[in-house]
Parts: sequence; structure tokens; C-alpha cells
Amino acid sequence: MAFLELEHIEKDFGAAPVVSDLSLDVEEGEFVSFLGGSGCGKTTTLRMIAGFEVPARGVIRIDGQDVVNVAARHRNIGMVFQNYALFPNMTAFQNIAFGLSIASMAKADIRIRVQEMLALVHMEEFAGRYPQQLSGGQQQRVALARALAIRPKMLLLDEPLSALDARIRTRLREEIRQIQRAVGITTVYVTHDQEEALSISDRVVVMDRGRIEQVGTPKEIYDTPASRHVASFIGTLNMIEATVRDAGSGVLDVGGVAIRTAAPIRAAGGTVIHAAVRPERISPSTGAAGDNRLSGSVTETLFLGSTVRLVVHAHGRRLSVDLFNDPDLPLPQIGSAITLSFAPEACIPIYASSAYRPE
Amino acid sequence: MRQRKFWSWLWVALAFTYFLLPLVATFLFSLRGKKGVLSFLAYRRVFDDPQFLSTFGFSLEMAILTVAAGFLLMVPTTIWIELKAPKLRSLIEALSYLPFVIPPIVLVFGLIRMYSRPPFALVSTPALLVAGYIVISFPYMYRSISAGLQAIHLKILMEAAQSLGASWISAVLRIVLPNIRSALLSAALLTFAIVIGELTLAVMLAWPAFGPYMALVGRDRAYEPAALAILSFLLTWLSVAVMHAVTRGGERSDSGAGAVH
Repeated sequence: MAFLELEHIEKDFGAAPVVSDLSLDVEEGEFVSFLGGSGCGKTTTLRMIAGFEVPARGVIRIDGQDVVNVAARHRNIGMVFQNYALFPNMTAFQNIAFGLSIASMAKADIRIRVQEMLALVHMEEFAGRYPQQLSGGQQQRVALARALAIRPKMLLLDEPLSALDARIRTRLREEIRQIQRAVGITTVYVTHDQEEALSISDRVVVMDRGRIEQVGTPKEIYDTPASRHVASFIGTLNMIEATVRDAGSGVLDVGGVAIRTAAPIRAAGGTVIHAAVRPERISPSTGAAGDNRLSGSVTETLFLGSTVRLVVHAHGRRLSVDLFNDPDLPLPQIGSAITLSFAPEACIPIYASSAYRPE
Repeated sequence: MRQRKFWSWLWVALAFTYFLLPLVATFLFSLRGKKGVLSFLAYRRVFDDPQFLSTFGFSLEMAILTVAAGFLLMVPTTIWIELKAPKLRSLIEALSYLPFVIPPIVLVFGLIRMYSRPPFALVSTPALLVAGYIVISFPYMYRSISAGLQAIHLKILMEAAQSLGASWISAVLRIVLPNIRSALLSAALLTFAIVIGELTLAVMLAWPAFGPYMALVGRDRAYEPAALAILSFLLTWLSVAVMHAVTRGGERSDSGAGAVH
């Protein structure tokens, strides 16, 4: 029995369905991210788990208990909001102590627990400060401490880092993950930032238009995206339009050239699908025997810091090729001819649509 | 640049003069109680009149009751509207303009008609006066409280409080009210000022309030009304200062309203 069970959850706002037939199991201690663009239903789903929205249909179970009719304040969950939601009339100490004083804990015990929490988020010197005297990152740390102080069953985070700037975001997300591991609490994290989701989650749930597109480890999501939406949402991806030539042998036709995939193709001959290849798996060379080969010309070279991206036009398609920035290697000239190669294993067939169903 | 500063200060000085001049003139007039010399005779006469303190005390009492009853009625209601029915906001705002449109004399006749018979024979109780005052101060109270709630992102704070185990009442008492202190204060002050000087309702419902007393004195005496005007101004100002001092802590949370972004 999983710690959090969502079964066939549905939610409508008026006539429009916002979440459709969503089912998911989250194990105890797991860190799961809901990833998707705005309007995909990820925040609504989180709010249903928290108890701020009621599903139109479906069951939500936390630690075996059906909570759909249980009010938010009785669910013993800790929530961290996008805009921190710290109480402006209370210091950091008082904010963290709030849940404990609601639970009528003894003052001495509250003090011990709050100090513990302040130490956990490295905010000991800021205990007496008010929210408006703290930076965004500091406020979010206090918000996290406040949520964890009450020893909740689950931790829910609703895009906690999107209001912060990039450097703080990177640092804070790692801290959140460290804290989560140290405390061992089941966590659901909502974000639209795929790098965030991939870097800190045990599993990622990619959502689109109210439905789950794919659930898997970050590596699975990245290497084997199940649908076009997942493929294009995660990282940069080359989507090569191709016609199926021989489904059984996994052969596609790209502008007259034969391209092989590593597995049979689940579409009939003559269907137009997309072959997805990650830019870093394409090599600007003839490659090994058995590799796919495409020839084209370089139209752009983009310097991205640690990577250099070549934009190549080949057989009527536009491809991105990522290389490590090696100062000793000369970059191809714009307009020069180039041969590209990639292994059949790097070529993922993407079909028109897919729907996720858990086992 | 210097020229612009000059003009800015000029307009400020003119505005200041416009507001202060009547007050200064009234004060100077109030000092002319004794012929040929400036004295506080008029003020002494006012203080010697027992009616002055009793009517002011009565109006003060009514003001406090109006603020208390008004808050008890309006604060939970406005919170409810903000949380559960934000679409009703514009309707309520439109309704809040009604007391401006309906003259107090019309209001009081309506009240007398409605409540002079059983089962609502309230016309001889002060409760009716307070109810009338609540209606008159409704626009100021509602808009002040509503603006205060909107500034603090009420919904998110309530949800944060609930996620930590707080009930509605706990959350309102411990988080919402402290953070709308300045909005509550300004609502209270406006209501106070209105009730202290209010005339129509007090006269028609026959209550010994400060407004009718001032009108009476103004009819019979020359210098005392001026002294009264200055005194009531000072007394109201004093009450305002006391209220402000009592809720001093609210200043910190005022600037906090911007922290929840």
C-alpha cells in the first residue's frame, strides 16, 4: 500500500475539466515532482492533496486513510507556497512556532523545536526578524521550517522557487532535497522547471492538460520520453519528421535516407511519425559502423558556455548538435558541409499521442 | 528645478492655508468672549455647562458602540466575501454607495416608521441610533476593511494557517486581524468622526447627543459655538491620537503587506 494514493481523480472548474482521470501512487519517503506548463493541472492536483480543493470524483488516501472529506487543517500536511505566505505580523521564530502553538504545545517544547528547525534551514541568526526584513530565499527557508515544524505526514511544495532568481534557486533546491532526505518525509513538489524536477526528484510526473503523460525516474523521462509532449518539454530535443519504412526492423525514411531505431516501431508502414534524438548524442563525424548518418550544412554555431550548439540543415530538417566546449577543436564554418551520426539506440520514435496508465 | 520646487511649495502653502484658515478664524473668534480683550471666557462658559460633557460623553459612547458593532458585523462578512464570493465584491461596493445617496433625514424617517411598532418597537432604544450610525458609516467601514484584506492576500494566508492546523476563527484572530490593523484603525476613526458630530439622526430620534447640543448652543449664543467647535475638534483629535497610540504595533505589519508578493 503506497503512502499517497490518488485514484481516478477528476476536477472541473465550471464546464472545463482541469484534472481528468488521474491515478498515482507515491511511496513513503519518496520525492515526487509534478512537472508541466501552466494550466496542466499540477497545482490543482496538489491543492486537492492538501485539502484546499475537493475532487469532483475519485479517491485520495494518505497513509491508508481516505481524506477526501477531511478538512485541510486535519490532514497533518505541511505546505510551502510560491509566495512564501509568511505571516507579516510575526517574526521568523513566531512563524515557525505557529503550528505548534495551535497544537497547544508547551512553551518550552515549542522553543526547542523551533530552534531545531531554524538550525535545519540555517536561519538561526534570523529568528527575530520579520518577513519583510528577509530576502526571498530566507523567507522560503523559514516557510519550509514552518511547514516541517509540526512533523507533518507529507510535505507539499507549490512552485516554491519560481519567485527567486536563478542562482538562489539552484542552491535552495539542493538544500530542500538534503533536508527532505534527512527528515525522510514523503514529498510532492510542483514545478514548471524541468531542470529543477529532473535534478532533485526520485520520480517525475509529467502532466499536460489535466492528464499524466508519463511517470518515471528523471533518467527514464529524459532518455525514453513516452510522448511528444514529454519529449519536447524535457530538455532540448531534435524532432525529426520521418516516414515508417519497415516497422518490424525499425527502419524510418528521412528525406530518402534510411534511419534505424533500436526497437520495432509501433506504427504501420507509410505513417509519418517523429524520431527524437538528443543534441548531445549526435556526433559531427562519420561515427561507428551501424550508426545512422545524415549529411547537411552548418547554418549557425551558438556558444552556450560549457556547450557549443551547431544548427545543421540536413535533408530538409533542422537539427541541433551539442558539443563540449573544447578550445583546441576548431568549430565548423557556417555554410560548410558536415556529416552527422548517431546510434540507433539514441533514436526514439515518438508517436502522435500517448496516454499514461499505471499498472 | 528650483523653480519647480518653488511652485510645489506654493501649492502646498495655499492648500494648507485653505484648510487652516477657517480653523484659525474660528479659534480667534472664540477668544472674543470678553469685550475688547482676547480671553478664554467662552471656553470657561462651555466647561461650566454640564450639558457639554454629558452630551459629548453620550456621543462618545455611541461612537464606541457603533465601531464595535460595526466591526462585529462587517469584519467577518467582508472576510467571507473575500474568501468565498469575490465576485460579489463589486455588487457590495455598489451597495456601499447607497448611504451616500440616501439623505440621513430619509433614513431616519424610514427607521422610525419601521421600528416604532411591535414586534420591532426599537425606536426608543439607543440600539436604533447605533444601527442608523452603522448604516451611515457603512461605506467607510466596508471599503477600508476590504482594501486591507486585499492588500494582505487573505486567501493564501488563511490557507497557510489552515495547513498548520488552525481553525477559521484562530486564523482570523491571530493572523488576519493583526495584519489589517491600520485598515481597522482608519475605519474606526472615520466612523468616530462621523458619529461625534452627527445631527439628523440624533435630533429626530430625540437623543441627548453632541450634535444637537452644538446646534442648540449655536442658535442661542455667539462665541460659545466657536469655542465648542474648537473643543470638539481637539477632543476628536485626541481620541484619534489615543487610538493610534494603542494600535502602534500595527505600523510594522503595515509595511509587511508588501512582503507577501
